[in-house]
Amino acid sequence: MGFHLVRKTDIKIWQIALYYLAGIAVSLILGAVLLTSLEINAVDYYKDMFTAGLIGNRFPAKTIENFFVSFVPLLITSLALALSFKMRFWNIGGEGQFIIGALTSSVIALKCPNMNPFLILLLMVITGMVFSGITGLAIAFLKTKFNTNETLATLMINYIALYVIRFIGDTKADWNFFLREDSVRPKFASFEENARMPYIDIGGYHLQFSVIFTVLIAFGIWFYLKYTKQGYEISVVGDSSKTAKYAGMNVNKIVLRTMFISAAMIGLAGAFTASSSAGVSANITNNVGWTGIIVAWLSKLSIPGIVVASFLISILQYGCRIASASYPSIDSHFADLLQGIILFSVLAADFLANYKIVRRKETDNA
Amino acid sequence: MKKLLTRLLGVALAIGMCLGAVSCSNTSDKTENNGSDGSFKVGAIYINSQNDTSGYTFAHHNGITKAMDSLGMSTKDDLFIVDNVPEDDEKVKAAIDTLAGKGCNIIFGISFGYINAFDEAAKEYPDIIFSHATGYLSNDTNFNNYFGRIYQARYLAGIAAGYKSVELGNNNVGYVSAWGTEYAETCSGINAFTLGVQSVNPDATVHVYELQTWGDNEKERQAAQILIDTYDCCVIAQHCDSAQPQLVAAEKGVFGCGYNSDMSVDAPDAHLTAPVWNWNVYYQLAIETAKNTPADFMSKVGNYYGGLSEGFVDISPLSDKVPAAASTAIDTAREYMVNGKWDVFSGVALTFDANGACTSEDKALKTNDGQEIVAAGGASVDDGVITGSMNYFVEGVVQEQ
Repeated sequence: MGFHLVRKTDIKIWQIALYYLAGIAVSLILGAVLLTSLEINAVDYYKDMFTAGLIGNRFPAKTIENFFVSFVPLLITSLALALSFKMRFWNIGGEGQFIIGALTSSVIALKCPNMNPFLILLLMVITGMVFSGITGLAIAFLKTKFNTNETLATLMINYIALYVIRFIGDTKADWNFFLREDSVRPKFASFEENARMPYIDIGGYHLQFSVIFTVLIAFGIWFYLKYTKQGYEISVVGDSSKTAKYAGMNVNKIVLRTMFISAAMIGLAGAFTASSSAGVSANITNNVGWTGIIVAWLSKLSIPGIVVASFLISILQYGCRIASASYPSIDSHFADLLQGIILFSVLAADFLANYKIVRRKETDNA
Repeated sequence: MKKLLTRLLGVALAIGMCLGAVSCSNTSDKTENNGSDGSFKVGAIYINSQNDTSGYTFAHHNGITKAMDSLGMSTKDDLFIVDNVPEDDEKVKAAIDTLAGKGCNIIFGISFGYINAFDEAAKEYPDIIFSHATGYLSNDTNFNNYFGRIYQARYLAGIAAGYKSVELGNNNVGYVSAWGTEYAETCSGINAFTLGVQSVNPDATVHVYELQTWGDNEKERQAAQILIDTYDCCVIAQHCDSAQPQLVAAEKGVFGCGYNSDMSVDAPDAHLTAPVWNWNVYYQLAIETAKNTPADFMSKVGNYYGGLSEGFVDISPLSDKVPAAASTAIDTAREYMVNGKWDVFSGVALTFDANGACTSEDKALKTNDGQEIVAAGGASVDDGVITGSMNYFVEGVVQEQ
């Protein structure tokens, strides 16, 4: 006696939607039970959460602005990760590549206080992309040359980068130009006005250029994968590198190139974030390197899917945090818990929508 | 591909429907609940969680809720908190935007590293009052800082420790400190405690063990062990977050002075007394002023630096391990400081005898390498020195690590 999983073949779209709805409903009910046990009106709480606190907000433009500050890096990182995942190259080094991009671009920002704003932004972006891209390239090189495990290599770079930025943030010294000079305790310096992300003022709402670029990047990646030769090569390598080889493709070259692009894009996200936050910090990644993996897989590596999923997950993260601010007894740990319950339910719903559990017959075991 | 896209649209639809259902439902708004007129809202940004059961954030949260309770405000409806905010300008800015959006009229930030984000926010939101603990920046209209003369309470704790060392016949007192001379806050604390100890036991030495971090349970524990095992300390004082040094003192059968909260709860057999903050004293003043006369906030509250006389700092009740004479001595010293008759870092030293009787004499305040800071009979050093530039140890302090 045993069970096995069978992939459903005839599942309809409306059925999948139903599974998702049910999953979310279950998680919301679970959350409501917890909230009620804390004597909090769950309906009010969810209202705050799903609208990211926009209802009755004194400064709604600020809320939307801050939302985009957290949405932009998640979207770019998820797209970049999907690029390498499509090739079956397991880049789980988003965190590290992000930090490398942010840190190197901040060198430009801090060392060139009088440069033209657009020029400095361009330089920052290029620096962040190049350094992060080279990291990715190095790991891809090790993979192609010595067949090293890229999962481990990218993972380890995460921790190296994290501890480097922590060390810089904690060490007061003459060489350390990353820190403020006017503070006794070590504290990261803020960028001058010229290195901050420019924006368009729409009636009090500041639309940062990074948001516009991110939309363009999403279109670009979608086009790249769907309509270019290189994009086609990526999917062939992902399906089978042997097929790619027989078809006369240079697999190593494709792996190196794609991994460079993937890491460089994450570096770009880091540079954007440093510029729009006007500085770096040990928490600058906001865990996008990890969340990006969830987003990429939740959307099955589809580019339009990633746009939608990263948008929804950003709302979820942001809303959870904002709703918890209204209730003194609710802290951010509870917000994280609720967020986890919802994500887990969605993943479970996705699984149940696509697979069915079948009882194995005795005869099948032989 | 198309199928996947539509699946995701399904998610969007699902969440959208929930959202719609939620916003359509007719429920009472938060501000309409009982106990609140909704006219004044308090915001707070914490470094840890408000649900902590001890430590720095816990002490501040207690202070704010206590102050709001006594002002008759509803902590359920009029208090908004963003917790676990790291000392990162972007995160602090987002937290401030959230609280401003909720309509908060005053926003407190409890951690030093929030300083620059608060400075900028004060310009961006001129109609909100920003109040920042432990910092040094402010402006003339809506941004102040607040801290207190905790050194006064440390002096009192030093008296208790001094009596205990005399009773035990051991002149070695230990002090586990987050930092040493790097920060005036820790440095002035060590000095005040030492002066307190020496007012009772002039032969005593205070051995300082520096952790070089604000909070690390394991390091705090090891430091206390070393002070007891290597330097034979009989009382362990501390300037760090956890009660570990007190627990070690209890395990080793010696005594200790905690910090921040009455650590008799943690180490009933060892604890003498602890310097404590009554944050509610400041929070009540700040909230009341901001609520009633916000325009005068900076002239009425300003940069707040309260001490024993405001009741902002004090020591926790003396435990039964403290020799009886200490109580008399401490009352005398407290009275001197409350009346403004005397202060710790001056050219006048207090001496207490075995019965707790006090004599004062003119005596120069000197560093432990013999430099004179205040001449005999001279006035106390400036507050700016105590909060910002004190970077020396007084006579009687020995830094061991």
